[in-house]
Amino acid sequence: MLIVVAGFLFVNFNIADNNIPQEEVKTEKPQYHVPDDVQQIIDNSCYGCHNSESKNEKGKKKLQFDKMSDLKTYKQVGSLADIADVVTEGDMPPEKFLKKYPERQLSKEEQEKLVSWANNLAKQLTPED
Amino acid sequence: MIIVFLLVLIQFVPAGLPDTIAENENDLLYNNQIPEQVAVILKTSCYDCHSNETNYPWYSYVAPVSWLVGKDIREGREELNFSEWESLSKIDKAKHLDNIIDEVSDGDMPMNIYTIIHTDAKLSSEEIEQLANWAEDYAESLFE
Repeated sequence: MLIVVAGFLFVNFNIADNNIPQEEVKTEKPQYHVPDDVQQIIDNSCYGCHNSESKNEKGKKKLQFDKMSDLKTYKQVGSLADIADVVTEGDMPPEKFLKKYPERQLSKEEQEKLVSWANNLAKQLTPED
Repeated sequence: MIIVFLLVLIQFVPAGLPDTIAENENDLLYNNQIPEQVAVILKTSCYDCHSNETNYPWYSYVAPVSWLVGKDIREGREELNFSEWESLSKIDKAKHLDNIIDEVSDGDMPMNIYTIIHTDAKLSSEEIEQLANWAEDYAESLFE
């Protein structure tokens, strides 16, 4: 429990630095800002397993929120689309985890917020069809 | 005797084997220039469950095997159907290509229950690499 809570304190999900000079913003890796309310949902219900220091090997392998901005764009988009899928389906967070931490269950509203964030960001990162 | 009777009886339970469709205008291979080797891998190792072009062997019509086969193919097509590839958005294509790389690299696909019988569908490490490299190149090309 303590470890999980400690993990949440070190959340650092690719917060775009607004002070970067204009020309440096145009890097290959897109930078984006995660709204506070979405970040809170991620911290509470996802980050514990999905970070680069995670003890949950499966979760760590699948997705690391703290390293997401290091991924190639298609992988970021793929991850975001997966997030939208599994949250919509109610497959994440997993039942086993929720049994232990019922307070980390996503409310309907949180689900919607997370899904629409993931979908919108995926769209933003993807060239027009 | 009872077992034989039961085996006969269960043949009347619908198996729900999805239909096969030979011509699919949105098919991945039909619409894209895909390296021959990769196309062969996809056809041999993926298309039975992840396309409308399923090749049903005779025993797949026999219950209870048919139930299992039917379920796997329904789920496979629902998750990813290469016959409908062109109808997908770029985002969904990226998602699937990303997942293909992970699934085949981890040996999670094709499923063991499938390759036990379809031994030719088992991917060699070289084939895994070919498939993963193709998927990565293709995914990256969507974002150029």
